[in-house]
Amino acid sequence: MIVASISPDNVLPIPAPIGLLEVLIVITFLLHIIFVNFTISLTAGAVGLETFGIIKKNRKYDNMAKIASYHASIHKSIAVVLGVGPLLMISVIYTQYFYSSTILIGKAWLSVLILLIVAFLMLYVYKFTWERWQHKKGLHLFFGIGAMAILFFVPLIFIVNVVSMLYPEQWATANGFFHSLFHYPQIWQRYLHFMLASIATGGFYFFIFYSFKKRKHVLQEDEVSLKRNGAKVGFWVTVVQLVAGFLLLFSFKPEIRMLYMGEDLLLTTLLILSIMFTLILCALLYKASEQDSGKSFLLALATFVMILGIMGWMRHELRESYLQPYLEDNPRTEHTTQNNNK
Amino acid sequence: MNFPSIDFSWFGNGSVIALIAIIHVVISHGVAIGTIALMVTMEYRAHRTKNLALDALAKKIAKWVLIITTTMGAMTGVGIWFSTTVIQPDSIGALLRIFFWAWVAEWIVFITEVVLLILYYYTWDKWQDGRAKARHIKLGIVLAFASWMTMAIITGVLAAKLTPGLWVETHAFWNAFINPTYLPSLGFRMFLAILLAIALLSFFIRWRVKDVALRQEVFHVFGLWGAISLPAVFVLGLWYLWSIPTDAYDMIVWSTGMPENVFKTLNGIAFAILIIYLIWMIVKPKAVPWILSLIVMGSSVAFIGEFEVVRESIRKPFIIYDYMYANGLLEENREKYDEEGFLKHATWAKEREITEDNVVDAGREVFIGQCITCHTVDGWRSKRSLTNRMDGWTEDDMTSFIPTMHNVRVAMPPFMGTDEELEALAAYLSTEINGKRTNKKEVSQQ
Ligand code: HEC
Repeated sequence: MIVASISPDNVLPIPAPIGLLEVLIVITFLLHIIFVNFTISLTAGAVGLETFGIIKKNRKYDNMAKIASYHASIHKSIAVVLGVGPLLMISVIYTQYFYSSTILIGKAWLSVLILLIVAFLMLYVYKFTWERWQHKKGLHLFFGIGAMAILFFVPLIFIVNVVSMLYPEQWATANGFFHSLFHYPQIWQRYLHFMLASIATGGFYFFIFYSFKKRKHVLQEDEVSLKRNGAKVGFWVTVVQLVAGFLLLFSFKPEIRMLYMGEDLLLTTLLILSIMFTLILCALLYKASEQDSGKSFLLALATFVMILGIMGWMRHELRESYLQPYLEDNPRTEHTTQNNNK
Repeated sequence: MNFPSIDFSWFGNGSVIALIAIIHVVISHGVAIGTIALMVTMEYRAHRTKNLALDALAKKIAKWVLIITTTMGAMTGVGIWFSTTVIQPDSIGALLRIFFWAWVAEWIVFITEVVLLILYYYTWDKWQDGRAKARHIKLGIVLAFASWMTMAIITGVLAAKLTPGLWVETHAFWNAFINPTYLPSLGFRMFLAILLAIALLSFFIRWRVKDVALRQEVFHVFGLWGAISLPAVFVLGLWYLWSIPTDAYDMIVWSTGMPENVFKTLNGIAFAILIIYLIWMIVKPKAVPWILSLIVMGSSVAFIGEFEVVRESIRKPFIIYDYMYANGLLEENREKYDEEGFLKHATWAKEREITEDNVVDAGREVFIGQCITCHTVDGWRSKRSLTNRMDGWTEDDMTSFIPTMHNVRVAMPPFMGTDEELEALAAYLSTEINGKRTNKKEVSQQ
């Protein structure tokens, strides 16, 4: 058996300098993933709040849930279209790795299409029948929970794909999607990290959304609730995330983990900065959840964007570190200024 | 085989791509492009004639456009890409590199389109009066333009697969994008989209809208658009046909799988029905028979399916004309593979060298590498199932047919590989089809 089947790169040159494409992949990926985070957490939030409202027999939670479902169904459309950009970049820069890892879970990869169509349609039913099915809550919740379950599952397919592309030497022994879930390291740690980030981001979203809105309008009671509870959720989940982040770090190959823990100046700095900013964000969110001041929400927003940027950058560097030995042995067809490729 | 391979052994790899693509074309052309144009026209007319019922109907249509395009539409669009990545990685890999910046532009337009559509729908009630309504209609026009732009860009890529033109020599982006069939195919598709939208929508309008006066109004709008689009489709279609390569042109009828007279009759009848339908809509909008609207809807969707199948098939054996074959092999590598061997260069083949013991397994790898994009061993499409097509063939029949197959059946790429690889392929096929080896030498030895 061949150790790692990495084919020669496509003979047509990569259409732009790789450095430029790397910047683009980080930016476009972040834009995409933030909307994915919104979609997942707002859907989960809607389902959670609606259930809570039924149990407590309190219409207030139902109203909050309705708002969340409305936002979720808009963000899911944007999340999908934004996803095309990073998919384009990763396909072009990492052709030799990404195509193989995709085809190895090909049927699961194609199932994403059906899964998301069903989830999105269910989300529309969930949103558009909110009033009409006030007395058929069971049926209504069914659509919400169905969409949520699918949205919780689909990230696993993406994670398997982008993790397995980092481990070409394990391709030969992988056997389809479900086997791959346990075949490659990092997968569940990444999933946990991602899901926590999603939920925190959803909380943060409502905090920011209504902080902005408050500057122009007087908020209604449900809205105030969403804003404060959003900050609260953001805070608590981020605290847990500090632990989950370390679990992820410890799932990396030791050589690579050490790069983040002193051996590489850039990566170590990024990691420390990200932790610092996260602590600052936690403090700001804690304050916001305790009292409805919201003065420092712009600062919270800035900190959040910083964290996001650092995370995206580190994530990219991680892939580069893993792939470096392979990239050296299997050179890519790089961009040339003239349009010839031979 | 630069990548692993996947086998939809019953449905067929090609059919997976075709199914997703056809659904996408129906939605992107019929709903996203055609219906948006009709819907905005309806809103405009409602505003001019102060017809609230028409405005409400246009809004209802907008809701369905939103629901359908952001679920099925968007996902099958991404789906074409997903499925080609999984099934034809070499081809999509090449296309992404050639058309990278076109794809980036497409992406930006696509985001714009979705955002505009969301705004358009959710501001409908807010922007109702006077100036606000005028602004809303303008928003609709920009939306229609954005949806047309997505077509204007992607058509460059699609057309280049059939007629890459000067690109084959220059490898320059603009040579590929503005290629010989670009303009005619864009024009053709554009008006086809309107006709498809009329066919789809008018059925639902005829069925669901009970108010005859309202229906009359809607059909008035459709009739107008139809009167422009039908002749345009006809003329541009002829231009399109005239600009494709002769070899491809000759394959049109064949690629539908119909005998020539059946093909001509069916398409002729469908066209005639469409003309009758449009005239009916213009002349007697109150009395459009629902059965006719159903037939028109069905035949329009069938025509789109036919168009896509033909467009994809007449390019055979190539996937990028004169450059890459449908199985991902490059024309320029043919001599190399014939001399040095195909498997030697197939990174993902499970067997890379042929020995006494692995002949059949190595043959399977050749089959996967060179035939599986179009054939199954015994899938549902009998024309493409080799168990059916090679029923009763011995290995010797195979080894004498395969090296000439591209001459006998021009839809097929040439076989590339050494004699040993050819024999291995035959050994594999024979084991699958006949249940045993049928090589004279082998059999007599036993
Ligand atoms: C580009 C797609 C494509 C590829 C790749 C391809 N074929 Fe075919 N093949 C076809 C089509 C289409 C037909 C049917 C032609 C017809 O019915 O006119 C066909 C027909 C055949 C037939 C029937 C011929 C006859 O005269 O009845 C055989 C045998 C065959 N192919 C074998 C192969 C083998 C072996 C390979 C791989 C080395 C291969 N094909 C690769 C498209 C392809």
